[in-house]
Amino acid sequence: MNDMHAAPTRHEDAPASGFEFTGAWREFLPIALTNLLLTIVTLGIYRFWAKARERRYLWSRTRFIDDRLEWTGTGLEMFIGFLLVMAMLVPIVLFLQFGVQALVLRGQFLIASIAILALYLGLFYLIGVALFRALRYRLSRSYWHGIRGGSDEPGWAYGWSALWKYAAAGVTLGLLTPWTQTRLWNERWNAMSFGPYAFGADADTKGLKTRWLMIYVAGFAAAILLTATSFMAVLGAAGTPNAGGTGLPVPQFTWTAFLGILGFYLVIVIASLAYYAAFFRKAIGSTRLAGLGFSFTARTRDWLMLILGNIGLVVVTLGVGLIFLSYRNWAFAMRHLEASGEIDLDALTQSPTRAATDAEGLASAFDIGAL
Amino acid sequence: MAQADEAQGWLYDGVSAIRQEVALALVDGRPVLRFSDGRTEPLDGLTAADVDRDSLVYRRAGRDGWQLTLPRPLPDALKAALPRDAVYGRWIDRIGLGPAVAAGLAVSLIVLAGGAYLPQLLAPLVPRAWERNYGNALVGDFGGKYCAGPGGQQALNALAARLRPGARDFDVRVVDIPIVNAAALPGGHIVIFRELLAEADGPDEVAGVLGHEIAHVEHRDVTEAMIRELGFGLVIASLGGTTGGNANAMLATRYGRDAESDADRAAIATLAAAGISPRPTAGFFARLAKQEKKLGRLGDALGYISTHPTSAGRQARFHNAARPRASYAPALSEEQWNALVDICHNDPKRRKARRAGA
Repeated sequence: MNDMHAAPTRHEDAPASGFEFTGAWREFLPIALTNLLLTIVTLGIYRFWAKARERRYLWSRTRFIDDRLEWTGTGLEMFIGFLLVMAMLVPIVLFLQFGVQALVLRGQFLIASIAILALYLGLFYLIGVALFRALRYRLSRSYWHGIRGGSDEPGWAYGWSALWKYAAAGVTLGLLTPWTQTRLWNERWNAMSFGPYAFGADADTKGLKTRWLMIYVAGFAAAILLTATSFMAVLGAAGTPNAGGTGLPVPQFTWTAFLGILGFYLVIVIASLAYYAAFFRKAIGSTRLAGLGFSFTARTRDWLMLILGNIGLVVVTLGVGLIFLSYRNWAFAMRHLEASGEIDLDALTQSPTRAATDAEGLASAFDIGAL
Repeated sequence: MAQADEAQGWLYDGVSAIRQEVALALVDGRPVLRFSDGRTEPLDGLTAADVDRDSLVYRRAGRDGWQLTLPRPLPDALKAALPRDAVYGRWIDRIGLGPAVAAGLAVSLIVLAGGAYLPQLLAPLVPRAWERNYGNALVGDFGGKYCAGPGGQQALNALAARLRPGARDFDVRVVDIPIVNAAALPGGHIVIFRELLAEADGPDEVAGVLGHEIAHVEHRDVTEAMIRELGFGLVIASLGGTTGGNANAMLATRYGRDAESDADRAAIATLAAAGISPRPTAGFFARLAKQEKKLGRLGDALGYISTHPTSAGRQARFHNAARPRASYAPALSEEQWNALVDICHNDPKRRKARRAGA
């Protein structure tokens, strides 16, 4: 009797989705404003508590099937996690800073460069670990029906895997990127669990490779078009008698160049969005939990509207809108996230994983998110 | 049969995912949970987890996933027996939002003021011996790049002695790196880079620059920058994220300008006391402005070596400091100056190294 269907009834007018976001921006506004105020007067320290409040609201306004999610992470634990990571990283960074200065003063530019390279590789490795741990922490603080997720893996091996897979993508001029990203998605989610059940993910690169290559193609095409049109504009203007043979009037030429370059970037951005839209549909669509399957319905146009909306909001509010982006992004994700299948509540018991205590300290040290 | 001090809610016990209807009641003034089968359980270790429009959420210490949701508003008697609502965070909830903002503002101002003035206050307290050890470890022999052409170092020492007779707080060396600059490094190490000598038109110009760097050492500007770099900058930047980082960058630039103009004033006084004209230094700064970008890579790596703002005001300050009827003597003799200018060129070891490098 306790089987919960993710999409129990398929009415014509109601979208079949296990997830529903019921938040309202008027409720979020006082949270965001007081968070901003407290973050400023504490020189930024309150940002951990701000994040906890924000998530508590967003999670509690997200229904999965019959009940809401609950975020139980606290600002204090995130602050402590951050301090612990800083206590480990700061001496290393200080030592390297001193060491590199001493090497430069001694004229050892080569050794100094190697030390800096090692520092960056180390940081890149830690960013991989941080990504894994942030996801693990968030699952371990996310409850549904009193049950949480988690992972027993520490993420050190994942860090190496991410390092060499991104290096492989790098040496192939980025061509392997879809492979790197889908593999790493699978590795992350295959290590995660919710309650007694393990997540499974087996995303492949089918359909992603073409979209990835399209970014290159679109970039080249836009560059050629840009060069050709600016050349023609100069020539054409030079030929008209009233231009006096000196090309376009300067302001007009500046505008043409500005619009051309803007167009070039726009083409790249849209081509990239087309890839990432496909990536998330593929990755989330290949992820399972016990009897549940997931899917993500956001298409390139949806992502574009989200980003344009975000930019518009920030510009119109002169930057204050930044505090609203987490709300918009979460609402977007929940609007497009769907689940199908069923889950047996009698068998859904508490997660046996150890509750993560590092509280995404590593991730906040690098200021990155979990996805 | 809901009573005045009872509320219906639901519970997840954190063991299974089954939702249970429960009632919360007061027994002897303490909250007790009553299950639908009549079982009761006293609620100890209760903490407030969340408040929203129409519900209150409580958890229990040490019970993973235990979650009690009650409707809002609760009867007053019941509310009083439960933990205070959790909104902003424990400390802020205790004193209220307004007082918390005021307190935060006050503490932040103290911290910022501390960050601005503490390095300045602490710098004179750092023993010179410590700083010297740090400086030696940092600088070493400058990768063997010190120039030692015959007579050059003696000329430089003579110039330093003329500016500061009997001073022992600093030493001056010429480094074989082709940039037009000079720097005061931790431990009283003043270095003049090769190309500065080539660019200078005479010893008086070098005297002005040297006077400026000596002032940095004596005023403990380098020590102060060291403290700032190692200590507060790092603490504020890491604790405060972007807000604190911006504040710190602001402090750093303000400090930089003050220290530079102070050092200029001290250099002018030094030149006057030594009977050297300040006017050539003004001309030198004008030429230096064009060369400033050449510091490049070295400048990036060394946060605290002298950031030299070359402004019209700076040149004017040196220019106007010249007294019309004063009798100025050249800072060095012709012979000394020639030895100093060619200190790297005449050093066989440096010549060899440069050939090997090229």
